[in-house]
Amino acid sequence: MTDKVTVRVQRYRPEEDAAPWEQSFEVPYSEDLSILDALNQIKDQQDPTLSHRWSCRMAICGSCGVMVNNEPRLACKTFLRDYRDRGPVQVRALDNFPIERDLVSDISGLVEHLETVQPWLIRARESPVGEGAYLQTPEQMQRYAAFGQCINCGLCYAACPQFGRDPAFLGPGALALAQRYNLDSRDEGAAQRMQWLNADVGVWSCTFVGYCSEVCPKDVDPAAAINRGKVASDLNYAVNLFNILRGKDNA
Amino acid sequence: MRKPYVQRQRADWWLRNPAYRRYMLREATALPLLLYALLLMSGLYQFTRGEAAFLAWLALLRSPWLLALHGLALAAAQYHAVTWIALVPKILVIDSDRLRVSPATVQRVHQLGAVTCNAGLLVLALLLLRAAGGY
Ligand code: SF4
Ligand code: FES
Repeated sequence: MTDKVTVRVQRYRPEEDAAPWEQSFEVPYSEDLSILDALNQIKDQQDPTLSHRWSCRMAICGSCGVMVNNEPRLACKTFLRDYRDRGPVQVRALDNFPIERDLVSDISGLVEHLETVQPWLIRARESPVGEGAYLQTPEQMQRYAAFGQCINCGLCYAACPQFGRDPAFLGPGALALAQRYNLDSRDEGAAQRMQWLNADVGVWSCTFVGYCSEVCPKDVDPAAAINRGKVASDLNYAVNLFNILRGKDNA
Repeated sequence: MRKPYVQRQRADWWLRNPAYRRYMLREATALPLLLYALLLMSGLYQFTRGEAAFLAWLALLRSPWLLALHGLALAAAQYHAVTWIALVPKILVIDSDRLRVSPATVQRVHQLGAVTCNAGLLVLALLLLRAAGGY
C-alpha cells in the first residue's frame, strides 16, 4: 500500500459558494512530491474542477503562490516531506488578495502597484540606438541586483499586514522594484519616483514588520528596500526644506 | 461570472503567525517605556509641589511594583535597541563610487555609539549624585 498524505484544499466556486470552504484529498506520497505536484494530482486524478495557477514548476514564473499552513509559499518550491508528521497540510489562496476561484487570487492590485512606480530606465535624454547600450560596471550592477530578482509572485503582499489593512499601499514588491531602478546607475528617474515613495501609500505606510523578506522565495529583501526608501525620502524632505528656507521654493 | 471573494483582515491577525507575534512584541516595548516616562513626569510634578511631596515620591519608587517596572522598561529598551541595531546595516547602506563602508562596520559603529551613550549617561548620573551628596 502506498503511503498517503492528506491535503486540505480551500475551495471557492463563485457560482455556488458564498464563502470559501475546505475539502480534504488523499494524495500518494513520495519524497519529491511538491505542493504543486499534489494539486496537479488532485486536479488530474480526483477532481478536475479544482482551479490553481502554475506554469514553470521551478520558482521562476511566480504564479503558484498559495498559503501552506498559513505561510505564503510557492507551491512548486514547497515539499510535502517538510510537513510529514505535522498532520494534514492546509493549502489556501494567498492572504490579502481577493479570491477569484479556489486557489486563484486576483492579483490585479499588485500589478497596478508595480506599474505605478515606473519600473523602467528613465533617462533625461534617451541616447539614440546607434550609440549602443548604456554601460555599467559589475560593481554598479551589484548595488541593485538583489532587488531585481523579484518574480512578482505576491508572497510578500500576502505576508504584509499593512497591505492587508489597506490594499492601496504600494507594498513590498513594488517598492523594492522602485529601489531596483533608483539604485541603477543608468537610471535618472529617482526624482520622478520620489512622489510615490513619499506618498501616503508609499514607504511610510510600512511599519517594518519584516515578514515580507522572510517569505520572499528569491531573497529580494523587500523590507530592506522599503526602509532604504525611507532614508531616501527623509533626505529628499531635508533638501526641500533647506531650499525653502533659502527662499528657493521649487519643492 | 466574476464574484471575487474579498478577504478581510482578521482583528487577531497578529496572533496567527510567530513572525507577527515577534513584531508585536517589538512594538509593545513602547508600553513599559511609556509608563516609565509617565513615572518620571509624575516625579517632576511632585518636585514642583515641595520637598515632602518629592520625598514621598522617592519613597514610592522603592515599592516592588515600581522596581519591577524599571527592570521591565530596561529589558524592553535593550530588546528594542539590540533588534533595531541588527537591522541598521540593511537600511543604512553606504556604498557609492566615492565612499564605501561595510555593513559590519555600520553595525559596529552603532553598537559602539549605543554603549558609549548609555555608559556616558550612567557615569554622568553617578557624578551628579555624588556632587549632590546623595551617597
Ligand atoms: S519581492 Fe519576493 S515575495 Fe515579493 S513579489 Fe518579489 S519575489 Fe515575490
Ligand atoms: S510554477 Fe512558476 S513559480 Fe511555481
